[in-house]
Parts: sequence; structure tokens; C-alpha cells
Amino acid sequence: MGPKNLLFAIVLGSALAAGVFVATKLNRPPELQTGFIVPLPNALPDFSLLDQSGGLVNADTFRGQWDLVFFGFTNCPDICPTTLQVLANARRELIDSGATTVPRIVLVSVDPERDTPEVLGQYVNYFGEGNLGVTGTLEGIKTLTGALGIYFEKSPTDDGYGVDHSAAVLVINPDGEFSALFSAPHLIASFVHDLPIIMGDD
Amino acid sequence: MLRCKLPAATVMAVCILIGACGSEPQPPLVATDIVIIEAMPGKQMTAGYLSLTNHSNAAISITNVSSPEFESVEIHESLLDDGVAKMRRITELSIPANTTITLERGGKHLMLMRPTGTSSQVTLSFQSGDSTLLSVRAPFTPRNN
Repeated sequence: MGPKNLLFAIVLGSALAAGVFVATKLNRPPELQTGFIVPLPNALPDFSLLDQSGGLVNADTFRGQWDLVFFGFTNCPDICPTTLQVLANARRELIDSGATTVPRIVLVSVDPERDTPEVLGQYVNYFGEGNLGVTGTLEGIKTLTGALGIYFEKSPTDDGYGVDHSAAVLVINPDGEFSALFSAPHLIASFVHDLPIIMGDD
Repeated sequence: MLRCKLPAATVMAVCILIGACGSEPQPPLVATDIVIIEAMPGKQMTAGYLSLTNHSNAAISITNVSSPEFESVEIHESLLDDGVAKMRRITELSIPANTTITLERGGKHLMLMRPTGTSSQVTLSFQSGDSTLLSVRAPFTPRNN
């Protein structure tokens, strides 16, 4: 094989390898780190609750933007504020990286007895502007959590009670459908990596 | 590399030379990386995180934590049980000999309840039965740091 033929073989070989590499890359959807896309998005049930200003919250409230929904309560000192801080930091990183689609952060109280709209408002506003707090009647909360497979139950303590609750963060798409979820433990980097893929903004 | 290969005799010699090891024995229980989170507006409770090292050759058992800045301090543990977040009180925290236990987010932590005032510092006393093992003072840390 002469030097000219050898060069041709190398060029051809490299081009083939590059072609195979690109084709594999294009065919494989980007991998999620901890997020999980629900195969068949679920519409939210018919429910009626309150936001932190006392305004009506129903299924329509979740249309028109992406939402990250966490279920918790304001008398929870560790998991709930840590999760909201992770979501707030991930949201800020998405904004800083120039993402065009940025989700809203929503906290649905699993302790509506103590979490009045005012109490919940102070709490969610602490983690940034534009966050939505949802509370109301226990029945209204249960209609929403029941349809989404979210569990919660009071757990007595020495001087009151805590609430055990599902720690997942649900993603609601702009059609108001539950379309993806993140299981705990929650990491900022996973949200920053996975959300643009889930929201089709990668 | 040098540090790992130092024979014990050399370490002892250094101790004698600087005169520190014998005259000021290390307390058996030491707290480091203390982070007491500022309570959120309107909330009567917050969390505290720290590392506790038992430098002694016997296990240390913490049965009570108290602070003049809070009506009540308890050791709690956040658990993730099949996707469900739970919080349970730990009434006795045992630290094995020569071991460090870390109280951190999403795990064991201090739950500080009902602040007694508006101090910018918090004093924590760790007790085993009636004897105080350790008292430390730390500033409050803003949550968004």
C-alpha cells in the first residue's frame, strides 16, 4: 500500500468512525440522572385549594408553566427547607445558565391545620419570589395527593406532631399534567442537568 | 507521606518538646463544623448540624442537649423510608470510642424549638445524665448560605 492509499484509508476510516459516533449520539435520548419521565402524563384531578394570599388554586393554576411540586409542612426543620433550598438553588442555576424555560416552585402543605395561607406565605417567600404555596382543607389536599400517589400521615411527638410525607418532587407540565418526578434524596446538580431535558429545553 | 511514617516515639518527642500534649489534655468530646440555622420568619423551630468527635477510648452517650436560647433541644433523625420522609427523636446518641459522628442535613440533626429571645449566638450543652460533657457557642447561620 503506497503512502497515498494509506492516507486515503486513514481518512476514510476516521470519517466512518465519526459517522458511527454521531449516529449513536443522535439516536440515544439524553440520559436523566435522577429524574424519571412518566410514560403517560396524568391530568390533575378536580380540586379546590388556596394559595398563600388566600386566592383559589385548582387544576387550571398549573397550566401555562412548568411546576416543581413538593409536599411538606412548615414545622419541618430539616427535609422540607433543605429540599426547597435545593429547588431554589437549581432554579437560580438554570436562570444563570441562560435557560429559557424555568419552572415555578410549589409547596403543597401536608399540614393544612397549622399551615394557614399566611404561615405558608412567609415560608415559601423566604425561598425566593414567585414561589407558590398551596394549602386549604384536608379533604382538598387529599384529593390532590391521592390522585398523584403522594402519601402523608401525622406522626405524634412528645409535644405535638410531625407529618411523614412522600419526599418526591413532581414535575407538572404546562398542560397541567404530572409528567415527571424526582425521587429523594434531592441534588441541585441533578435538577440542573435533568430539567432542561424533561422540559425539552436542552 | 512523612506524616504517615512518623514513628510514635517521634510524635511523643515532639509533644514533649512543645509541651502541649501533657499539660493540656484534649477533652474527650469535641464539636466541630457547628451550623445552627437561623429560624425562618414566623417559625418557632430550626435545625442545627455539627460533627461530634469522641477522642476517648470509651463510648460516650449523649442523653440531653440544652441551650439557654431555646426552650427545648432534641436530637432527631430524618429518615427516608421507601420514598417517605420521616423524622424520629433519638433519646440517646452513642458515639463509639475514637469516632466522629456527623449530624447533617437529611440525617441526624438537632431540632431547636421555641427561641427564648433574639440572640445572635447560641450556646449548646451536651449532657450525659447529670454531667455536662461539652459546652459550645456558635453564631446563627443564615439558611441561604
